[in-house]
Amino acid sequence: MRLWKSRVEKMVDAATAQSATVSSNEAEVPLGESSGASFVLKFLRKDKSALAGMVIIGAFFVFAAVEGVLQVVGGYLRMQYLGWVLLPSNPLEVNFHNSLIAPNLGSLAALLGFDYEGRSILSQILYAAPRDAMAALLVVASAIIIGMLAGISAGYVGGWADEVLMRVTDAFLAFPAIFLAIALAILLGNGYTVVLIALVVVWWPPYARFFRAQTLRERNRGYVEASKLSGISSLRVMSRHIFPNTIDPIIAIASLDLGNVILTYSTLAFLGIGLQIGVPEWGSMTSDGLSYVPGAWWWALFPALAIMLVVVCFSIVGDRIQDLVGGRLSY
Amino acid sequence: MVSRFPLFVARRAVNAVVTIILMIALIFVIVHIVAPTPEDLAHFYTGRGCISQSFCLQLAHRYGLDQPIYIQFWNYVIGVFQGNLGTDTIYQLPELQVLARFLPITLEMVVVGSVLGVVIGIFTGAIAASNRNTKTDYGIKGLYLMTWAAPPFLAAIVFQLILAYYLNLLPTGNIANLTLTAPPVVTGLPMVDSILAQNWVYLYSYLQHLVLPALTIAVISFGSITRITRASMIDALDKDYVKLAYMKGLPKRSVVYGTAFRNAIIPIITLIAITFAFAVGGALVVEYIFNYHGIGYFTLQAVYAFDYPAVLAITIIIGLSVIIANFIADILYGVMDPRVRLT
Repeated sequence: MRLWKSRVEKMVDAATAQSATVSSNEAEVPLGESSGASFVLKFLRKDKSALAGMVIIGAFFVFAAVEGVLQVVGGYLRMQYLGWVLLPSNPLEVNFHNSLIAPNLGSLAALLGFDYEGRSILSQILYAAPRDAMAALLVVASAIIIGMLAGISAGYVGGWADEVLMRVTDAFLAFPAIFLAIALAILLGNGYTVVLIALVVVWWPPYARFFRAQTLRERNRGYVEASKLSGISSLRVMSRHIFPNTIDPIIAIASLDLGNVILTYSTLAFLGIGLQIGVPEWGSMTSDGLSYVPGAWWWALFPALAIMLVVVCFSIVGDRIQDLVGGRLSY
Repeated sequence: MVSRFPLFVARRAVNAVVTIILMIALIFVIVHIVAPTPEDLAHFYTGRGCISQSFCLQLAHRYGLDQPIYIQFWNYVIGVFQGNLGTDTIYQLPELQVLARFLPITLEMVVVGSVLGVVIGIFTGAIAASNRNTKTDYGIKGLYLMTWAAPPFLAAIVFQLILAYYLNLLPTGNIANLTLTAPPVVTGLPMVDSILAQNWVYLYSYLQHLVLPALTIAVISFGSITRITRASMIDALDKDYVKLAYMKGLPKRSVVYGTAFRNAIIPIITLIAITFAFAVGGALVVEYIFNYHGIGYFTLQAVYAFDYPAVLAITIIIGLSVIIANFIADILYGVMDPRVRLT
């Protein structure tokens, strides 16, 4: 759902960045001089909120990677307890002694309270993290690859192919992303992989447009003419010459978009799509807790806050990277 | 200039129609990937309705699902343009009739919510731009980053908790007080219907129930408007005509809100259509939380019941309304800014 916002941003930025990115070519020269660790450190010292965002995102991904590996390995070795050695308590164990205990400082597991089955909310949130992190990375990476292939070739070939791509992306963009994702997920069956496929199908068109716009700008530059004249194939022109020059702003867009994928993914989970039985998910925890609002408000509220925390960090970091790449900031 | 305007409208209209046909093609392709054989298709269009394989085949033959794919596509497109979106398997009615019941309710909520969001967005954006790089600016930026990153259900839950449960100001859900009788359906829009029937009690109850969903829609959609308004205003405030206005000795307020604002507002119009589309997506979650029986509620009902015809019909109708909203925004943009017509 949030995809729409990022698309808005992207469309407008693609329009406004036309000038900004051109000027960034000059602005990047001093940036290149102080590049590397010192530049990043200088940037982070100056911008506390971006630093905090980076730290939280880093922690999120590292934790998700470790926890994900433990869960998968535990699943293979039939030692499921490996999945919660890092967590304050077993996130799947039902224990009605703890049913709906309010958040308290008694123990780490009780920090965010317990749900109806007496499972710790904190443990469940942490247990669900790997799936969200993987969804974000896989969907954005696949969308970038598909969008890149479609966008660069359409922009380079131009004419008829270009018109077709534009109309097809228009057709995709006509749907609010969440509706199309739901329709796809429900038509293709249900489950984690299906939701990821549905998200990729919804996610690639803005990237295709982005790469097309970038390619259109690069296509008539001197170096492309030169490489064409040297007689190499157009495939090579696209992959070796145009592609590296279109890729710069993608870091900022991808960073903003990682958060958007997590939002859409958890909204789908909230609506009950793509869930596995007995596996906690940020969105589905919120919707489960909804029937216990207002009495047990922590059950619905904390998973939603966890989503917001992660996504805010992605937005802040993406925003700053956009400023840097766009050459609007100079440190 | 003026003579080019019909041409501009015609070009946009052709684009819109091509987009609609492609959108239908997209749905068609997806359906045929999911259900490759005629019996699968029959199974699919009846919402898992046909029991035995021979019955499936019989149905497939009757509805032409065993014909070549291009003929099926032609029939499908013609069907959609004639308003034939299949039969709903929950209500046993033509989809269009079911949608006509649910869509206006959502439409009214989304329009109220997104208008509210656009107004909030434009004002916060203008305030942020005229106080660039001050505490107010950073405050507004922090606010919209938060609402932007929050999942839509978080805003809904927080509003429900605070305004409905703790402060007891507003009802927690439903369209109107369930003890009241709804006015007779004329347009399907509850507000218009109750005004037509002069049923003020129902109208009051309806408006009370509308506040929370509309507010949630506004909060989740104002961020992008704020951001664009701010950027566009900053652009406009640096222009020469603004400097001239200052030099003429106009007060700051009239320069910002009179001169700069009017010029900055134009790019926001295209964004309004996108905000509307986004708000329709948000309606899904909002209706679920506030138990609001609109199109979002119907979608989830269809999803949980595997009512495929309904899911397809909803997707097509939503896509259509977004394309139409975009078309209107394009035309408005052309009306407001004559330079656009030349492209």
